Amino acid sequence: MIPPSSSDHGPVSSCSCGGLTLTGVSVHYRDFTALRDVNLTIPDCGITALVGPSGCGKSSLLNAINRLTDLIPGCRVGGSLRDGVGTELTDPTLDVLALRRRIGMVFQKPNPFPHSIRRNFEIPLREHGLPRARVREVMEKNLREVGLWDEVSSRLDESALKLSGGQQQRLCIARALALGPEVILFDEPCSALDPISSAVVEEHIAALRGRVTVVIVTHNLAQARRIADRVGVFWIRDGAGTIVEEGEVETVFGGAKDADAWRYLAGGAG
Amino acid sequence: MVSLFPASFTRTRRPGDILLGLAGGLACAVTLLALGCILWDLVRLGLPHLSWSFLTGEVTENGRSGGIGPILISTLMILGFALAFVIPPALGCAIWLSEMVRQGSGAARIITGSVDLLASVPSIVFGLFGMSFFCQTLGLGFSILSGSLTLACMILPLLVRTTLSALQSLPADLRPTASALGLSGATMIGKILLPAALPGILVGITLGVGRALAETAALIFTSGYATRWPESPSDSGRALSVHIYDLAMNIPNGSGAASASALVLLVLIVLINTTAASLAARWHRRHSAS
Repeated sequence: MIPPSSSDHGPVSSCSCGGLTLTGVSVHYRDFTALRDVNLTIPDCGITALVGPSGCGKSSLLNAINRLTDLIPGCRVGGSLRDGVGTELTDPTLDVLALRRRIGMVFQKPNPFPHSIRRNFEIPLREHGLPRARVREVMEKNLREVGLWDEVSSRLDESALKLSGGQQQRLCIARALALGPEVILFDEPCSALDPISSAVVEEHIAALRGRVTVVIVTHNLAQARRIADRVGVFWIRDGAGTIVEEGEVETVFGGAKDADAWRYLAGGAG
Repeated sequence: MVSLFPASFTRTRRPGDILLGLAGGLACAVTLLALGCILWDLVRLGLPHLSWSFLTGEVTENGRSGGIGPILISTLMILGFALAFVIPPALGCAIWLSEMVRQGSGAARIITGSVDLLASVPSIVFGLFGMSFFCQTLGLGFSILSGSLTLACMILPLLVRTTLSALQSLPADLRPTASALGLSGATMIGKILLPAALPGILVGITLGVGRALAETAALIFTSGYATRWPESPSDSGRALSVHIYDLAMNIPNGSGAASASALVLLVLIVLINTTAASLAARWHRRHSAS
């Protein structure tokens, strides 16, 4: 069973039970196998980057972790995904809404709800049982966390869509953090942003190290090298995506054993 | 957004373009002229009859004299009940089609096909159905209730269609975003999708109100002719459009009062449309990027 949610509603200061162990994970869309036999240990409170060419199943893996795959008709997930306390995340009887509070997600395209900045926090926080009186406090704390509070504190009741792309993405990170997750999955969070906004967002993701377990899919190899502790390289093998190389970031970038991974990381393939 | 090429930039002086411009201008003039003629006619014939006592007074001499007070009240009651009856099932149907059933599945195709078929049924057929089902089978008689239920059936497909297209035109990533935050389906629909689709739903309601206020055929058989003050929804009540029809067709020397009533109907529709438009504009100021 899922342990009771942390009442803190913000990133926890000392991390616990946030690691993930993936054993033989596969993702199938009807007859098509997108991902096969993925074995990966995601360390507690570290930053794990997943890199590789498009179509290798990196996003499918993220969606399998927080069970967004449940929403895709015909999608099946095989193998075992366990959290730090050994809960099997693929268990069909698991409360997926509670799971998704514990494992947050930030998407490629900034996607605030078309409501006020305040409502963007109020709706999810109230859904997970935070008293109305505490919404403002939790919102402020997490907007400060991503350096957005000073920019938006005077216009909390304006549409979140009026913010710039980079601000919107930081809002989405703050909104995910506000639920007090143990893990946050980032699916190419910077690839829709300009270089300056991208650098700001990257800085805030890096700052999560030690407090939340971060899994980040990125096409920016330099970014993976800058912020990640561990990196997994995805490639196509026998018509399906899988992890061909995995380890400490400097070891993998310094000399990957897999030939495709080596050429990809050296800039020669993919 | 300001276009780099304002419309005037494309105005060249070739003969074909000049001809096209003239033809377009003429077409616009004809459209304006049609509206102008209708308004002029209504104002010329109807304005002399209009007064506060016309709006609030009882109907006397079958409408030749007196006012349209009870008829206005009946009309608003029929409209209000029709909206109350139609909005919940229309929203429910659109939400089910858009959010709960797989697109293109057999059930979805059957329902959308039925909705479209219902939309093409002439209003006189709705009138006959309303008379036999609501008035006789359900025993509601000629009443405001029967009339509003009939109108609700008539504008149901319109409202389902507009709500459905409003929901389907929302950004697709709202749904996975809501799910990834652990929101339940009910919260996603009630607090995120429906509020975001509100302007489109308002357009549908405005169109429905327009159709309902203009409707004569479906109401003659169902809500009846009575011109006395309605005391309850089970009383018979004459709608404004039915009153206009009656004055124009059956009552000698009724055309003045008919024009005045038509003018009132027009003002009522304009009022409802502008209210809906200003609500939608207010929504846009609060929710959109611009």
